[in-house]
Amino acid sequence: MAVNSEQTADRKAMGKIINRYPPERRYILAIMQDLQKQFNYLPKDALQMTAEYVNTPMSVVYSMATFYKAFSLVPKGRVVLKTCDGTACHIKGSNIIIDEIYKTLGIRPGETTADGDFSLETVNCLGACALAPVLVANDRVYPKVTPASLREIIEENRGRRDESTERE
Amino acid sequence: MKVTIDGKKIEAKLGETILEAAVRAGVEIPNLCYIEAFGGQGVCRMCMVEVKDGEQKRLVASCTYPITGEIEVQTNTPELQEIRRNIITLLYRRAPNSDFMKKLYQEYVCPAVEVVDPAEKCIMCRLCVKACEKVGAFAISTIMRGTEKRVATPFDEASPSCIGCGACAEICPTGAITVKEENGKQEIWHKSFEMSRCEICGNYYSTLPVKEHVKEQLDNEVSGENLCPSCRRKKLAGDLAKFSIK
Amino acid sequence: MNQLKGNNPGRRTILVCCGTGCLANGSAAVYEALCDALKGNDKFEVETLAKATGCNGLCEKGPLVKILPDDITYCKVKAEDVPEIVEKTLQQGELVQRLLFRDPATKKYYKSHHETNFYKKQHKLALRNIGEIDPSSVQDYLDRDGYQALEKAVKRMSPAEVIEEVLKSGLRGRGGGGFPTGLKWKACAAVDNPPRYVICNGDEGDPGAFMDRSILEGDPHTVIEGMIICAYAISASKGFIYVRDEYDLAVKNLTKAIENARERGYLGKNILDSELSFDIELVRGGGAFVCGEETALINSIQGNVGEPWDKYVYPAEKGLWGQPTVINNVETWANIPVIINDGAAKFASIGTEGSKGTKVFSLVGKVVNTGLVEVPMGTTLREIIFDIGGGIQKGRQFKAVQTGGPSGGCIPESLLDLPVDFDTLTQAGSMMGSGGMIVMDDRTCMVEVARYYVNFLAEESCGKCVPCREGISFLLETLTRICEGKGKLEDLDLLESMSCTIQQAALCALGRTAPNPVLSTLKYFRDEYLEHINNHRCPAGICKELTEFYVDEKLCTGCGRCRRNCPADAITGEKKKAHTIDPEKCIKCGECIDNCKFQAVKVK
Repeated sequence: MAVNSEQTADRKAMGKIINRYPPERRYILAIMQDLQKQFNYLPKDALQMTAEYVNTPMSVVYSMATFYKAFSLVPKGRVVLKTCDGTACHIKGSNIIIDEIYKTLGIRPGETTADGDFSLETVNCLGACALAPVLVANDRVYPKVTPASLREIIEENRGRRDESTERE
Repeated sequence: MKVTIDGKKIEAKLGETILEAAVRAGVEIPNLCYIEAFGGQGVCRMCMVEVKDGEQKRLVASCTYPITGEIEVQTNTPELQEIRRNIITLLYRRAPNSDFMKKLYQEYVCPAVEVVDPAEKCIMCRLCVKACEKVGAFAISTIMRGTEKRVATPFDEASPSCIGCGACAEICPTGAITVKEENGKQEIWHKSFEMSRCEICGNYYSTLPVKEHVKEQLDNEVSGENLCPSCRRKKLAGDLAKFSIK
Repeated sequence: MNQLKGNNPGRRTILVCCGTGCLANGSAAVYEALCDALKGNDKFEVETLAKATGCNGLCEKGPLVKILPDDITYCKVKAEDVPEIVEKTLQQGELVQRLLFRDPATKKYYKSHHETNFYKKQHKLALRNIGEIDPSSVQDYLDRDGYQALEKAVKRMSPAEVIEEVLKSGLRGRGGGGFPTGLKWKACAAVDNPPRYVICNGDEGDPGAFMDRSILEGDPHTVIEGMIICAYAISASKGFIYVRDEYDLAVKNLTKAIENARERGYLGKNILDSELSFDIELVRGGGAFVCGEETALINSIQGNVGEPWDKYVYPAEKGLWGQPTVINNVETWANIPVIINDGAAKFASIGTEGSKGTKVFSLVGKVVNTGLVEVPMGTTLREIIFDIGGGIQKGRQFKAVQTGGPSGGCIPESLLDLPVDFDTLTQAGSMMGSGGMIVMDDRTCMVEVARYYVNFLAEESCGKCVPCREGISFLLETLTRICEGKGKLEDLDLLESMSCTIQQAALCALGRTAPNPVLSTLKYFRDEYLEHINNHRCPAGICKELTEFYVDEKLCTGCGRCRRNCPADAITGEKKKAHTIDPEKCIKCGECIDNCKFQAVKVK
């Protein structure tokens, strides 16, 4: 029962987001961005509702959802670690940070820990090249990360893992 | 207007593509993703040609380059030959399990490469997606991007809009789309379809949704008879014969 | 800024840089601490105001706090420093010396950032307002001649005159292509098929570049004004700004700026009582590098996958929804008000024969002063990297500078005196691109750098055409093998041949330029490739499979710095005695070699 009411509530929230835009194909991207922000991924139901709303085949909507990097089709971790792998960060050792995250948490870019605490993503450039290598945990930016400081960052973030859900 | 293709002067219409003009004039330009009814996609780049427009020379895809003036076209320079050999090499590397690519790989005398996946057949020419669009089903599309790009149904699951017509498999040059037919059922794109049986010969000839789809498209003007194409032709011929005797 | 002094002598303005770089270093806390400190403080005889501005460029030294009209710049300010700044500088008129900018070479302190080499050699046009104004205030923009150019264009120039002015200025597209902006506008205006559209390409996705972000965040109105002027020139009714959704602050500031421009009558019906009606819509990009390509971006706005099409017919003729469309990059738009205000002749007097005006570069990597710099076209790479950038970090050896984003090329030391413009960079096998400039030292492996860029492009290629999708996949596999020590000499020939095919046959500019990193490193750093292939050795100590670090006993002083920095506890040694590295434990992160002050850590 609880699951059902949760689903209904979700569908209601989806409808609310979708209805903010005129029913035209060109708003698919904007709708999906808002859905991604709300749910941390694109639920299947939401994509189907979007396709119907803008009167566009599901295959087209799915094609877009998998093309753009902003979207995820599986739920992400409570804390999303984004390592910047822009050139400045790369030549200052961002791949070592990525390796260290794998050693500590067992996840590679695009993966989520089994307990759902952490997801790892790489981003191309956060535009903070002077602070390379940069790591972002949810909205917190950590400049000049080293393997040693990384462990502290992970520990610090274990504690705040529910913050993002509370915020909504 | 007049254009020259490989020294041959031909008449071209304003706005048509070089490939269209060439096909009409009987000049062959290699291509892997072109079908007249779908128009140029600019995907495989096998049809690259050299265009001389005044003093300026450039390489263009003949399937998308519109003719707007009197140009000179070369379709088979050594430069273009190297491009085509490299494209075939790359596609064989991607789809080594297809006989079609194996043959081309031999024909173009390509260098040795390590293949990506020995079982792969798809060269991503997208003709299947175009065919599905033309049929009006929109069941498949390209998904992902970059080197991960492939053709699929949403979520790699049976798509409600797939009618099992098999146009995608029919048009595929490399046989990459599997269609399983057994016991009156046809399976394609994770979906199984009941087949329709011909009233006369008893052969399975079409999936049920395809029949519905055709009926809808033709505003139900088609008779409700269950006939395979060959029996329908025979019957029609018979009807006409009766008519002419009268 | 002297204006402020004259108009209101008792008034001080404190500007806190709130660009992304400074925010990451904690500038929001500094701003809040300042506001708190100034609010309840009645000890002031001067009226003081704290403002949050866009990026100042010198991100390395952030957070930056500027005090006007005194023209004092404090670097690396923390919230804890605020009471001292308030007490000493604001109340007693003294400088807090430890917060001043200090030239690492001369050890000299500078009161104002304007006196430093980093700023002295710059010439700010596109970045003229950034760091000087509060981007959320339209009044700040107006105070610095904002919307004057629009007024001049609409009231005193005909559309044809505006186009002529842009043509005469010699402005070329700053997004990478370098196509003359005026020609684009003229071609679009000439197509008799309304409606026409204006698009701002703000889908900056180059790894290591952030000039568009800085402009959109720090001075959104200049982009909007540029677009309205174009709309007037080509009779467009609707504009779109396509901006990366990841750029939160840019989206926020732009949204507000568009609203404010509407309120003030710069957008909407009958702009400045003229016939011109024009509005702008913000489109948030979905995160695809290829959408920086015009036709892919247009597809994305239309609600499609961001795949490009063959541009044999330009968007100026057939663009958004098949209509004539002018699409320019953020920095290009930011230059338009300057050209109209100051005149084409003045703009054209800056720069080189073929490339007029200035160019913004994001100078990053192993350079001392990282940040945004704007210099006249024709400035040499050496001036940018060594005079403005202050040379290489930690006194290491310069190896290469990569320009033009992921599909640019790596330029070696022998070409450092190259005057930078569109044409010289292309001749050198690189390109201007949108202005990324990444400095590399002897700890950068050029094969690995090529692999890095190709890997980036493998993920970012749209996957539509074969040469790009499959060609890049081939390049990546080959380069990865070489980095792992499994390369063969024949690989180099095939790399070159495939690269050539990709350049000639790929559908869009992303694909056609994708082989640049491979070709330019093969051309200038072939030795490094051969070292990887023949001797299974990575001279820079970056490719892990081919690297082993060791300590040179003669040079090691036993200071213990490497031992303390090693995250893997792989280094042992007693104080003042030579240390040793255990290759079994070593994770090859390079912390030891990068931090050794005696160059005692070496690559085997």
